[in-house]
Amino acid sequence: MKRIIALALTCILCMSAFSGFAAASEGPLRVAALESGYGPEMWVEVTEAFTAATGIEVELTTDKFIEDIIGPAMQGGDFPDVIHLATGREKALTDQFIKDNLILDITDVLDRAVPGEGALVSEKIAGGFTETALTNPYDDGKTYLAPMFYSPCGLFYNAGLFEEKGWTIPATWDEMWALGETAKAEGYALFTYPTTGYFDTVIPTILYSVGGPEFFDKVTNYEEGVWDTPEAAKYMEILTKLASYTHASTPAQANDTDFTMNQQMILDDTALFLPCGTWIVDEMAEAPRVDGFQWGMCPVPEIAAGGTGYSYTWFEQAWIPSGAANQDAAKQFVAFLYSDVACDIFSASTAIQPVVGVAENMTGDNKMFFSIYDTGAKAAMGGFAAYESTAGLASVREVFMDPFNALVSGQTTADEWLADMRAANDQMRANLMQ
Amino acid sequence: MRTAKGRKRFILLCVAPAVILFVIFMIIPTLNVFRISLFERGAYSPTETFVGFDNFNTLFKDEKFIVSMQNTILMIVMVTIFTFFFALMFAAILSREKIKGQNFFRIIFYIPNILSVVVIAGIFSAIYRPDNGMLNSVLSMLSGQQIQVLWKDQPMVIVSIIMAMVWQAIGYYMVMYMASMAAVPESIYESAGMDGAGRFRQFFQMTLPLIWTNIRTTLTFFIISTINMAFLFVRAMVAKGMSDVGLSFMYNQKDAGLFGYSMAAGVIIFLFSFLLSAAVNRVTRREVLEM
Repeated sequence: MKRIIALALTCILCMSAFSGFAAASEGPLRVAALESGYGPEMWVEVTEAFTAATGIEVELTTDKFIEDIIGPAMQGGDFPDVIHLATGREKALTDQFIKDNLILDITDVLDRAVPGEGALVSEKIAGGFTETALTNPYDDGKTYLAPMFYSPCGLFYNAGLFEEKGWTIPATWDEMWALGETAKAEGYALFTYPTTGYFDTVIPTILYSVGGPEFFDKVTNYEEGVWDTPEAAKYMEILTKLASYTHASTPAQANDTDFTMNQQMILDDTALFLPCGTWIVDEMAEAPRVDGFQWGMCPVPEIAAGGTGYSYTWFEQAWIPSGAANQDAAKQFVAFLYSDVACDIFSASTAIQPVVGVAENMTGDNKMFFSIYDTGAKAAMGGFAAYESTAGLASVREVFMDPFNALVSGQTTADEWLADMRAANDQMRANLMQ
Repeated sequence: MRTAKGRKRFILLCVAPAVILFVIFMIIPTLNVFRISLFERGAYSPTETFVGFDNFNTLFKDEKFIVSMQNTILMIVMVTIFTFFFALMFAAILSREKIKGQNFFRIIFYIPNILSVVVIAGIFSAIYRPDNGMLNSVLSMLSGQQIQVLWKDQPMVIVSIIMAMVWQAIGYYMVMYMASMAAVPESIYESAGMDGAGRFRQFFQMTLPLIWTNIRTTLTFFIISTINMAFLFVRAMVAKGMSDVGLSFMYNQKDAGLFGYSMAAGVIIFLFSFLLSAAVNRVTRREVLEM
């Protein structure tokens, strides 16, 4: 008898160990979304609205570190149906899916009607958003990632301080350096940044302003010799100068634990400009600030007066893994993200969908931020083309952004950085995905 | 006869769950590390291509990997030396000297060990803050002039991590040594004192040899744990790529979509820690002293 009990207990123990392996069957639609500065509530509301509109049950997972939640299961082949997670994050989960060709082609979603509405998805998404490397990574005319929440990016500053001092916002880099000298004399640093990752908004803008869209395309497609051009020299000159005007403490705090200390420099009037997206207002809402503080945002300066100012449009992406079980329901969900109902829910949390006419009824700080395009700045969009992962080859961020830390602290020189970029440029071109 | 057989079967059944779990969760994954290191594949990709030892060839030419292994070795050496020095010193003071509030100090020294690495990273980010951090303020006060060391930037970043790791580890090892020092009979010290041996002599010629077995075990243990802890501290405290150690290099390769390459780094680190522990074990072998 004892033996039978022991045997039974052993079996139970073994079975309980295996229960975690149970494969996911076709159940409700599983949505995984990054909980970013906008908070998780809007996702709960949107999935409820989707269920109300289509009758499809949704199982929602949101987390600030969503990669850690869904990553291990996906390594075992168990995928959520829809994932909202942008490229360019430190864990680079979306980027890996692009490189491994594991994302479902959603070009047909653009021709679908938005659930509960008559309009097609392609009619609702604002122009240009489904034509960049961020949505069509393989340059084959097919869309794999759906553009989500866009935010104009630029330099954030304390408008109150500029008013008090009577300074004007620099329109050109020369004016910027002049302001840098004035500020230095009064004890302010001209520039700071949260982490080098935020240069993904500054670098494209500077590339656009030194050489226009053509130069930007050459750089992001790793054209041969692009780093030997006069535009590249000009680009590097601007970065070097910017580094020399950066607050010296910045690199020591440019990590995921301390980056808010760099953002605090703007609130404390220690540094004047910081590159960021509009979420910074919510992110720093509780932080102490100097009297009379008021958020301001301006485009990155231009080369010459009267040129075209560019403001980089940062946006996130939602996509369907090709291993998803409920692909049709997933496509319906992606289409629903552009419905009026969903857009209203998102914008209540200040997340703005790239949908035609959505900017019309904005209020508060957001109205000022999004009006940057009305005041003459051109939208710059896009990113670096995807290349195949190769052992020993660094990431875009490691090659084109991270060395700025070393440039500020004097651990590297502009020439060394250029040499590294040239070498990486050749390797990336050799491994470009087609 | 029957009962002996039945007993064997019973023992087998009792051990089976643990053995099965160990095989599934330890042995198979470890073997898989070795297998995948010979392939090229992404972390989420179902396809894999056999590339032989290509991953290892690239690895030994990868400057970043070499630097990260150098950092690992530097940390093992420095953290071990400082931790053992302080842990032994504090243990000797707290167990041999009559100090008020001995238990209080024992608890204070032990607290860092129960904090999670994330909390320690938070504490040290306040200590290392460039403008008004504790460390810079204290240094400025002592020197009488404004000192602004950028602790978490190059080239100080590795020193900062080492200091945090030493701070974290001292308490645990101190308590371990205090336990074994308490086992040394007081009478030996008394007779040594009568023979004219001073405090230092007593420590080096009696205490150390008598607790040597303990030191030896903890040393091996500590080296392996430093390899792991260095990864946690680097991940939690500083920016990616600022001062990578072996394991964080491996982790970053996984993020870059190079699962096979990352596993190749894992194999090297595995062999490295294995050989290092064996070497330490060998070098520290002494004749065991009986009390």
